[in-house]
Amino acid sequence: MRRPSTNTSHAVMTPILPNSMALEAYRSLRFNIECSVFGRDAKTISITSSSRGEGKTTTAVHLAVAYAQIGKKVLLLDADLRNPSIHFVFDMENRRGLTNYLEGQATRHEIVRETIVDHLSFISGGPLTQNPSGLLASQRMDTLLAELSEEYDVIIVDTPSLLTISDAKIMATKCDGVLLIIEHGQLKRNVAKKVKEELALANAKLIGVVLNEVTNHPANAYL
Amino acid sequence: MEINLKEYFMLIKKRWWLIVLVVSVCTLLTTLYSRSNYVPIYQASTKLIVNKTSEQGQLGKEQIDFGAIGVNMSLINTYKEIIKTPAIMDKVVQRNPDLHVTTDQLISIVNVTNLNETQVMSVVVRHLSHERAVRIANAVSDVIQTEIPNIMKVDNITILNRAKVQDNPTPVNQKSNQYIILSFVGSLAATIGIILLLDALDDTLKTDEDIREIFELAPLAYVPKMKSSLLYAKRKRKVKNREEELAYAKTIY
Repeated sequence: MRRPSTNTSHAVMTPILPNSMALEAYRSLRFNIECSVFGRDAKTISITSSSRGEGKTTTAVHLAVAYAQIGKKVLLLDADLRNPSIHFVFDMENRRGLTNYLEGQATRHEIVRETIVDHLSFISGGPLTQNPSGLLASQRMDTLLAELSEEYDVIIVDTPSLLTISDAKIMATKCDGVLLIIEHGQLKRNVAKKVKEELALANAKLIGVVLNEVTNHPANAYL
Repeated sequence: MEINLKEYFMLIKKRWWLIVLVVSVCTLLTTLYSRSNYVPIYQASTKLIVNKTSEQGQLGKEQIDFGAIGVNMSLINTYKEIIKTPAIMDKVVQRNPDLHVTTDQLISIVNVTNLNETQVMSVVVRHLSHERAVRIANAVSDVIQTEIPNIMKVDNITILNRAKVQDNPTPVNQKSNQYIILSFVGSLAATIGIILLLDALDDTLKTDEDIREIFELAPLAYVPKMKSSLLYAKRKRKVKNREEELAYAKTIY
Protein backbone atom coordinates (compact mmCIF):
# COMPACT_ATOMS: atom_id res chain seq x y z
CA MET A 1 0.00 0.00 0.00
CA ARG A 2 1.60 3.22 -1.15
CA ARG A 3 1.07 6.51 0.59
CA PRO A 4 0.35 9.56 -1.50
CA SER A 5 3.54 11.57 -1.34
CA THR A 6 2.64 14.82 -2.98
CA ASN A 7 2.48 17.60 -0.43
CA THR A 8 5.11 18.75 2.02
CA SER A 9 3.12 19.21 5.20
CA HIS A 10 4.10 20.66 8.56
CA ALA A 11 5.51 17.32 9.55
CA VAL A 12 8.13 17.54 6.84
CA MET A 13 8.71 21.25 7.16
CA THR A 14 9.18 21.25 10.92
CA PRO A 15 12.83 20.11 10.86
CA ILE A 16 13.85 22.88 8.49
CA LEU A 17 11.88 25.82 9.83
CA PRO A 18 14.73 28.29 10.31
CA ASN A 19 13.63 30.53 13.16
CA SER A 20 11.78 28.39 15.61
CA MET A 21 12.59 28.54 19.31
CA ALA A 22 12.70 24.76 19.41
CA LEU A 23 15.20 24.57 16.56
CA GLU A 24 17.47 26.98 18.35
CA ALA A 25 17.30 24.66 21.34
CA TYR A 26 18.33 21.71 19.15
CA ARG A 27 21.24 23.72 17.75
CA SER A 28 22.40 24.44 21.26
CA LEU A 29 21.93 20.76 22.08
CA ARG A 30 24.23 19.85 19.19
CA PHE A 31 26.81 22.32 20.40
CA ASN A 32 26.55 21.08 23.98
CA ILE A 33 26.98 17.46 22.90
CA GLU A 34 30.13 18.41 21.01
CA CYS A 35 31.42 20.18 24.10
CA SER A 36 30.47 17.53 26.60
CA VAL A 37 32.12 14.63 24.76
CA PHE A 38 35.38 16.52 24.37
CA GLY A 39 38.35 14.41 23.50
CA ARG A 40 36.20 11.35 22.98
CA ASP A 41 34.69 10.43 19.68
CA ALA A 42 30.95 10.14 20.09
CA LYS A 43 29.90 9.13 16.63
CA THR A 44 26.91 7.01 17.45
CA ILE A 45 24.37 8.61 19.69
CA SER A 46 21.34 6.64 20.79
CA ILE A 47 18.28 8.55 21.86
CA THR A 48 15.85 7.18 24.40
CA SER A 49 13.49 8.15 27.18
CA SER A 50 11.83 6.48 30.13
CA SER A 51 8.39 6.14 28.61
CA ARG A 52 6.43 6.72 25.44
CA GLY A 53 5.72 10.11 23.96
CA GLU A 54 8.44 12.13 25.61
CA GLY A 55 9.82 13.31 22.27
CA LYS A 56 12.48 10.79 21.24
CA THR A 57 11.73 10.78 17.53
CA THR A 58 11.31 14.54 17.36
CA THR A 59 14.63 15.04 19.10
CA ALA A 60 16.36 12.47 16.89
CA VAL A 61 15.17 14.16 13.70
CA HIS A 62 15.93 17.69 14.85
CA LEU A 63 19.34 16.81 16.21
CA ALA A 64 20.22 15.04 12.95
CA VAL A 65 19.10 18.07 10.96
CA ALA A 66 21.08 20.35 13.27
CA TYR A 67 24.22 18.31 12.59
CA ALA A 68 23.53 18.23 8.86
CA GLN A 69 23.19 22.00 8.85
CA ILE A 70 26.82 22.42 9.86
CA GLY A 71 27.91 20.21 6.99
CA LYS A 72 28.49 16.97 8.87
CA LYS A 73 27.56 13.74 7.16
CA VAL A 74 24.71 12.48 9.29
CA LEU A 75 22.86 9.18 9.32
CA LEU A 76 19.56 8.89 11.06
CA LEU A 77 18.75 5.30 12.03
CA ASP A 78 15.28 4.29 13.14
CA ALA A 79 15.92 1.43 15.57
CA ASP A 80 12.42 1.55 17.01
CA LEU A 81 11.49 -1.67 15.23
CA ARG A 82 8.19 -2.11 17.03
CA ASN A 83 6.83 1.27 16.10
CA PRO A 84 8.99 2.87 13.41
CA SER A 85 7.90 6.42 12.67
CA ILE A 86 10.73 8.59 11.34
CA HIS A 87 9.82 7.80 7.74
CA PHE A 88 6.56 9.73 8.26
CA VAL A 89 8.57 12.83 9.03
CA PHE A 90 10.40 12.58 5.69
CA ASP A 91 7.28 11.48 3.89
CA MET A 92 8.77 8.14 2.87
CA GLU A 93 7.53 4.58 2.80
CA ASN A 94 8.90 1.90 5.11
CA ARG A 95 9.02 -1.16 2.88
CA ARG A 96 12.75 -1.56 3.05
CA GLY A 97 14.66 -0.78 6.20
CA LEU A 98 16.75 -1.97 9.10
CA THR A 99 14.87 -5.24 9.63
CA ASN A 100 15.47 -6.26 6.01
CA TYR A 101 19.19 -5.77 6.47
CA LEU A 102 19.28 -7.59 9.83
CA GLU A 103 17.36 -10.52 8.40
CA GLY A 104 19.76 -10.65 5.48
CA GLN A 105 17.22 -9.63 2.87
CA ALA A 106 18.96 -6.43 1.82
CA THR A 107 22.42 -4.92 1.69
CA ARG A 108 23.51 -1.79 3.45
CA HIS A 109 23.40 0.28 0.29
CA GLU A 110 19.87 -0.78 -0.42
CA ILE A 111 18.50 0.53 2.88
CA VAL A 112 20.31 3.88 3.16
CA ARG A 113 18.26 6.68 1.64
CA GLU A 114 18.93 10.35 1.04
CA THR A 115 16.52 12.89 2.48
CA ILE A 116 15.40 16.35 1.41
CA VAL A 117 17.94 17.73 3.90
CA ASP A 118 21.49 18.01 2.56
CA HIS A 119 24.07 15.71 4.15
CA LEU A 120 21.33 13.77 5.96
CA SER A 121 20.86 10.10 5.15
CA PHE A 122 18.25 7.90 6.67
CA ILE A 123 17.56 4.23 7.38
CA SER A 124 13.96 3.45 8.22
CA GLY A 125 12.87 0.74 10.63
CA GLY A 126 11.60 -1.59 7.98
CA PRO A 127 8.64 -3.99 8.08
CA LEU A 128 7.57 -5.26 11.48
CA THR A 129 9.35 -8.42 12.58
CA GLN A 130 8.89 -11.19 15.12
CA ASN A 131 12.05 -10.71 17.13
CA PRO A 132 13.20 -7.09 17.24
CA SER A 133 15.39 -7.45 20.34
CA GLY A 134 17.19 -10.43 18.93
CA LEU A 135 17.84 -8.68 15.64
CA LEU A 136 19.21 -5.58 17.37
CA ALA A 137 21.51 -7.67 19.54
CA SER A 138 22.81 -9.64 16.54
CA GLN A 139 26.32 -9.59 15.11
CA ARG A 140 24.96 -8.06 11.93
CA MET A 141 23.91 -4.97 13.85
CA ASP A 142 27.46 -4.52 15.14
CA THR A 143 28.78 -4.88 11.61
CA LEU A 144 26.31 -2.35 10.29
CA LEU A 145 27.19 0.23 12.96
CA ALA A 146 30.91 -0.31 12.39
CA GLU A 147 30.56 0.18 8.63
CA LEU A 148 28.31 3.21 9.03
CA SER A 149 30.58 4.95 11.50
CA GLU A 150 33.40 4.78 8.96
CA GLU A 151 31.24 6.40 6.33
CA TYR A 152 29.40 9.04 8.38
CA ASP A 153 30.44 11.73 10.84
CA VAL A 154 27.48 11.29 13.16
CA ILE A 155 24.93 8.51 13.56
CA ILE A 156 21.76 9.31 15.45
CA VAL A 157 19.82 6.25 16.57
CA ASP A 158 16.16 6.55 17.55
CA THR A 159 15.20 3.78 19.99
CA PRO A 160 12.09 2.74 21.91
CA SER A 161 11.54 3.79 25.49
CA LEU A 162 13.96 2.41 28.04
CA LEU A 163 11.85 0.94 30.81
CA THR A 164 9.33 -1.09 28.82
CA ILE A 165 11.49 -3.23 26.53
CA SER A 166 15.15 -4.10 26.29
CA ASP A 167 15.71 -2.74 22.74
CA ALA A 168 16.86 0.66 23.94
CA LYS A 169 19.36 -0.86 26.36
CA ILE A 170 20.78 -3.06 23.63
CA MET A 171 21.26 -0.06 21.38
CA ALA A 172 22.65 1.99 24.27
CA THR A 173 25.46 -0.53 24.76
CA LYS A 174 26.26 -0.55 21.06
CA CYS A 175 26.41 3.24 20.78
CA ASP A 176 29.08 5.63 22.01
CA GLY A 177 26.62 7.58 24.08
CA VAL A 178 23.02 7.83 25.15
CA LEU A 179 20.92 10.96 25.12
CA LEU A 180 18.03 10.77 27.57
CA ILE A 181 14.89 12.74 26.79
CA ILE A 182 12.86 13.82 29.78
CA GLU A 183 9.52 15.49 29.41
CA HIS A 184 9.28 18.45 31.74
CA GLY A 185 7.24 17.59 34.82
CA GLN A 186 6.40 14.03 33.70
CA LEU A 187 9.22 11.86 35.03
CA LYS A 188 8.97 10.92 38.67
CA ARG A 189 12.06 10.98 40.82
CA ASN A 190 12.11 7.25 41.58
CA VAL A 191 11.53 6.37 37.92
CA ALA A 192 14.43 8.62 36.99
CA LYS A 193 16.64 6.75 39.46
CA LYS A 194 15.53 3.47 37.91
CA VAL A 195 16.45 4.77 34.45
CA LYS A 196 19.88 5.75 35.69
CA GLU A 197 20.38 2.30 37.22
CA GLU A 198 19.29 0.57 34.01
CA LEU A 199 21.77 2.60 31.99
CA ALA A 200 24.52 1.87 34.50
CA LEU A 201 23.70 -1.88 34.38
CA ALA A 202 23.90 -1.81 30.57
CA ASN A 203 27.23 -0.03 30.95
CA ALA A 204 25.96 2.73 28.69
CA LYS A 205 27.52 6.17 28.64
CA LEU A 206 24.96 8.86 29.39
CA ILE A 207 26.00 11.91 27.40
CA GLY A 208 23.30 14.09 28.81
CA VAL A 209 19.69 14.84 29.46
CA VAL A 210 17.34 16.87 27.30
CA LEU A 211 14.49 18.53 29.12
CA ASN A 212 11.61 18.53 26.68
CA GLU A 213 8.36 20.46 26.48
CA VAL A 214 9.60 23.09 28.89
CA THR A 215 7.10 25.80 29.68
CA ASN A 216 8.02 29.13 31.23
CA HIS A 217 11.72 28.52 31.03
CA PRO A 218 13.69 31.72 31.53
CA ALA A 219 15.78 30.96 28.45
CA ASN A 220 12.67 31.40 26.32
CA ALA A 221 12.95 35.11 26.83
CA TYR A 222 16.20 35.26 24.87
CA LEU A 223 15.02 33.32 21.87
CA MET B 1 11.28 27.11 53.68
CA GLU B 2 11.48 30.15 51.52
CA ILE B 3 8.10 31.52 50.61
CA ASN B 4 8.15 32.48 47.00
CA LEU B 5 4.90 34.27 46.29
CA LYS B 6 5.61 34.60 42.61
CA GLU B 7 6.12 30.86 42.33
CA TYR B 8 2.83 30.20 44.09
CA PHE B 9 1.12 32.67 41.84
CA MET B 10 2.44 30.89 38.76
CA LEU B 11 1.23 27.54 40.13
CA ILE B 12 -2.22 28.92 40.72
CA LYS B 13 -2.26 30.58 37.33
CA LYS B 14 -1.35 27.30 35.72
CA ARG B 15 -4.41 25.59 37.17
CA TRP B 16 -6.81 28.52 37.03
CA TRP B 17 -9.39 26.34 35.28
CA LEU B 18 -9.53 24.05 38.29
CA ILE B 19 -10.22 26.99 40.57
CA VAL B 20 -12.90 28.39 38.28
CA LEU B 21 -14.53 24.97 38.02
CA VAL B 22 -14.56 24.07 41.71
CA VAL B 23 -15.54 27.53 42.93
CA SER B 24 -18.36 27.94 40.43
CA VAL B 25 -19.74 24.46 41.13
CA CYS B 26 -19.63 25.00 44.92
CA THR B 27 -21.16 28.45 44.72
CA LEU B 28 -23.86 27.28 42.35
CA LEU B 29 -24.78 24.31 44.54
CA THR B 30 -24.90 26.47 47.66
CA THR B 31 -27.04 29.02 45.84
CA LEU B 32 -29.49 26.34 44.75
CA TYR B 33 -29.51 24.80 48.21
CA SER B 34 -30.11 28.04 50.08
CA ARG B 35 -32.77 29.16 47.60
CA SER B 36 -34.69 25.89 47.81
CA ASN B 37 -34.44 25.67 51.59
CA TYR B 38 -35.52 29.24 52.22
CA VAL B 39 -38.56 29.42 54.49
CA PRO B 40 -39.88 32.87 55.33
CA ILE B 41 -40.67 33.58 58.97
CA TYR B 42 -43.24 36.20 59.87
CA GLN B 43 -43.49 38.28 62.96
CA ALA B 44 -46.44 39.85 64.71
CA SER B 45 -46.39 41.98 67.82
CA THR B 46 -48.75 43.60 70.26
CA LYS B 47 -48.02 46.28 72.79
CA LEU B 48 -49.32 46.34 76.37
CA ILE B 49 -49.01 49.02 78.97
CA VAL B 50 -48.68 48.12 82.63
CA ASN B 51 -49.83 50.52 85.23
CA LYS B 52 -50.37 50.03 88.94
CA THR B 53 -53.76 51.07 90.22
CA SER B 54 -53.57 54.81 90.61
CA GLU B 55 -54.58 56.21 93.96
CA GLN B 56 -57.11 58.89 94.53
CA GLY B 57 -55.41 62.13 95.47
CA GLN B 58 -56.55 64.54 98.15
CA LEU B 59 -58.43 66.59 95.62
CA GLY B 60 -60.17 63.56 94.25
CA LYS B 61 -58.00 63.63 91.13
CA GLU B 62 -55.92 60.77 89.99
CA GLN B 63 -52.33 61.51 90.56
CA ILE B 64 -49.38 60.08 88.89
CA ASP B 65 -47.21 58.32 91.37
CA PHE B 66 -43.75 58.79 89.93
CA GLY B 67 -42.34 56.16 92.25
CA ALA B 68 -44.87 53.71 90.87
CA ILE B 69 -43.44 54.12 87.36
CA GLY B 70 -40.15 52.60 88.48
CA VAL B 71 -42.04 49.84 90.25
CA ASN B 72 -44.01 49.12 87.12
CA MET B 73 -40.87 48.96 85.03
CA SER B 74 -39.38 46.37 87.28
CA LEU B 75 -42.70 44.57 87.33
CA ILE B 76 -42.45 44.15 83.59
CA ASN B 77 -39.25 42.18 84.06
CA THR B 78 -41.19 39.87 86.34
CA TYR B 79 -44.00 39.60 83.83
CA LYS B 80 -41.59 38.73 81.10
CA GLU B 81 -40.68 35.62 83.01
CA ILE B 82 -44.21 34.81 84.15
CA ILE B 83 -45.59 35.02 80.63
CA LYS B 84 -43.08 32.50 79.44
CA THR B 85 -44.23 29.91 81.96
CA PRO B 86 -46.99 27.32 81.55
CA ALA B 87 -49.07 29.33 84.02
CA ILE B 88 -49.99 31.68 81.20
CA MET B 89 -49.28 29.58 78.16
CA ASP B 90 -51.45 26.67 79.28
CA LYS B 91 -54.39 29.00 79.41
CA VAL B 92 -53.63 30.32 75.94
CA VAL B 93 -53.68 26.79 74.65
CA GLN B 94 -56.89 25.94 76.51
CA ARG B 95 -58.75 28.98 75.32
CA ASN B 96 -57.58 28.82 71.74
CA PRO B 97 -57.76 25.18 70.69
CA ASP B 98 -58.00 26.31 67.05
CA LEU B 99 -54.37 27.47 67.12
CA HIS B 100 -53.15 23.87 67.32
CA VAL B 101 -50.04 24.72 69.29
CA THR B 102 -48.60 23.15 72.40
CA THR B 103 -47.43 25.02 75.46
CA ASP B 104 -43.80 24.29 74.72
CA GLN B 105 -44.09 25.54 71.17
CA LEU B 106 -45.70 28.73 72.42
CA ILE B 107 -42.96 29.32 74.92
CA SER B 108 -40.38 29.01 72.20
CA ILE B 109 -42.02 31.30 69.66
CA VAL B 110 -43.28 34.02 72.00
CA ASN B 111 -40.90 36.72 73.12
CA VAL B 112 -41.68 39.46 75.57
CA THR B 113 -39.62 42.62 75.51
CA ASN B 114 -39.47 45.70 77.61
CA LEU B 115 -39.57 48.77 75.43
CA ASN B 116 -36.87 51.28 76.28
CA GLU B 117 -37.32 51.59 80.02
CA THR B 118 -41.00 52.38 79.73
CA GLN B 119 -44.10 50.82 81.13
CA VAL B 120 -44.84 49.43 77.71
CA MET B 121 -44.02 45.84 76.91
CA SER B 122 -44.26 44.11 73.62
CA VAL B 123 -45.31 40.53 72.85
CA VAL B 124 -43.54 39.38 69.75
CA VAL B 125 -44.52 36.16 68.00
CA ARG B 126 -42.61 34.55 65.17
CA HIS B 127 -44.25 31.94 63.02
CA LEU B 128 -44.01 30.49 59.54
CA SER B 129 -47.50 31.78 58.84
CA HIS B 130 -48.15 35.48 59.15
CA GLU B 131 -51.82 34.98 59.90
CA ARG B 132 -51.20 32.55 62.72
CA ALA B 133 -48.45 34.74 64.16
CA VAL B 134 -51.02 37.54 64.40
CA ARG B 135 -53.60 35.30 66.03
CA ILE B 136 -51.18 33.88 68.55
CA ALA B 137 -49.92 37.35 69.47
CA ASN B 138 -53.43 38.56 70.07
CA ALA B 139 -54.42 35.44 71.99
CA VAL B 140 -51.39 35.68 74.25
CA SER B 141 -52.04 39.36 74.87
CA ASP B 142 -55.66 38.66 75.82
CA VAL B 143 -54.65 35.99 78.29
CA ILE B 144 -51.98 38.26 79.79
CA GLN B 145 -54.53 40.97 80.25
CA THR B 146 -56.90 38.67 82.14
CA GLU B 147 -54.47 36.43 83.99
CA ILE B 148 -51.72 38.76 85.23
CA PRO B 149 -54.07 40.64 87.57
CA ASN B 150 -54.99 37.31 89.18
CA ILE B 151 -51.41 36.44 89.76
CA MET B 152 -49.89 39.82 90.58
CA LYS B 153 -52.85 41.80 91.86
CA VAL B 154 -52.24 44.49 89.28
CA ASP B 155 -55.45 45.35 87.60
CA ASN B 156 -54.28 47.77 84.96
CA ILE B 157 -52.88 46.04 81.95
CA THR B 158 -54.14 47.63 78.79
CA ILE B 159 -53.59 46.43 75.27
CA LEU B 160 -52.22 49.38 73.33
CA ASN B 161 -52.36 47.87 69.93
CA ARG B 162 -53.31 44.52 68.63
CA ALA B 163 -51.54 42.70 65.88
CA LYS B 164 -53.18 43.07 62.50
CA VAL B 165 -53.12 40.82 59.50
CA GLN B 166 -51.27 42.62 56.74
CA ASP B 167 -51.90 42.16 53.07
CA ASN B 168 -48.26 41.80 52.10
CA PRO B 169 -46.37 40.77 55.17
CA THR B 170 -42.60 40.98 54.95
CA PRO B 171 -40.70 38.06 56.39
CA VAL B 172 -38.29 38.94 59.18
CA ASN B 173 -35.59 36.68 57.84
CA GLN B 174 -34.28 38.02 54.55
CA LYS B 175 -32.98 35.71 51.89
CA SER B 176 -29.39 35.75 52.96
CA ASN B 177 -26.33 35.43 50.73
CA GLN B 178 -24.23 34.57 53.73
CA TYR B 179 -23.80 30.88 52.90
CA ILE B 180 -23.15 31.62 49.25
CA ILE B 181 -20.35 34.03 50.13
CA LEU B 182 -19.01 31.56 52.66
CA SER B 183 -19.07 28.79 50.09
CA PHE B 184 -17.32 30.97 47.52
CA VAL B 185 -14.54 31.99 49.88
CA GLY B 186 -14.27 28.50 51.37
CA SER B 187 -14.03 26.68 48.06
CA LEU B 188 -11.54 29.23 46.72
CA ALA B 189 -9.30 28.74 49.72
CA ALA B 190 -9.68 24.97 49.60
CA THR B 191 -8.84 24.77 45.89
CA ILE B 192 -5.76 26.94 46.27
CA GLY B 193 -4.75 24.73 49.19
CA ILE B 194 -5.22 21.59 47.11
CA ILE B 195 -3.19 23.05 44.24
CA LEU B 196 -0.34 23.91 46.58
CA LEU B 197 -0.59 20.46 48.15
CA LEU B 198 -0.53 18.78 44.74
CA ASP B 199 2.59 20.74 43.91
CA ALA B 200 4.21 19.73 47.18
CA LEU B 201 3.42 16.07 46.46
CA ASP B 202 4.59 16.33 42.84
CA ASP B 203 8.05 14.81 42.71
CA THR B 204 8.56 14.91 38.96
CA LEU B 205 11.69 16.36 37.46
CA LYS B 206 11.26 19.97 36.49
CA THR B 207 14.32 22.06 37.14
CA ASP B 208 17.93 21.54 36.20
CA GLU B 209 18.68 21.14 39.91
CA ASP B 210 16.36 18.10 39.97
CA ILE B 211 18.16 16.57 37.01
CA ARG B 212 21.62 17.35 38.31
CA GLU B 213 20.68 15.73 41.60
CA ILE B 214 19.65 12.43 39.99
CA PHE B 215 21.88 12.13 36.93
CA GLU B 216 24.84 14.18 38.16
CA LEU B 217 24.68 16.01 34.84
CA ALA B 218 23.28 19.36 33.85
CA PRO B 219 20.65 19.21 31.12
CA LEU B 220 22.21 19.64 27.71
CA ALA B 221 19.22 21.47 26.31
CA TYR B 222 15.84 22.83 27.19
CA VAL B 223 13.44 22.31 24.35
CA PRO B 224 10.50 24.65 24.69
CA LYS B 225 6.96 23.43 24.14
CA MET B 226 6.25 23.68 20.47
CA LYS B 227 3.17 25.13 18.91
CA SER B 228 0.46 22.56 19.29
CA SER B 229 -0.76 23.16 15.73
CA LEU B 230 2.47 21.77 14.31
CA LEU B 231 2.42 18.76 16.56
CA TYR B 232 -1.23 18.17 15.95
CA ALA B 233 -0.80 18.01 12.20
CA LYS B 234 1.99 15.54 12.74
CA ARG B 235 0.12 13.30 15.14
CA LYS B 236 -3.02 13.12 13.08
CA ARG B 237 -0.95 12.10 10.13
CA LYS B 238 0.92 9.52 12.13
CA VAL B 239 -2.18 7.76 13.37
CA LYS B 240 -3.64 7.62 9.91
CA ASN B 241 -0.47 6.22 8.47
CA ARG B 242 0.00 3.68 11.20
CA GLU B 243 -3.22 1.98 10.25
CA GLU B 244 -2.07 1.77 6.67
CA GLU B 245 1.26 0.45 7.83
CA LEU B 246 -0.40 -2.33 9.83
CA ALA B 247 -2.50 -3.32 6.86
CA TYR B 248 0.66 -3.39 4.83
CA ALA B 249 2.42 -5.53 7.40
CA LYS B 250 -0.43 -8.01 7.38
CA THR B 251 -0.12 -8.53 3.65
CA ILE B 252 3.54 -9.44 4.09
CA TYR B 253 3.16 -11.99 6.86
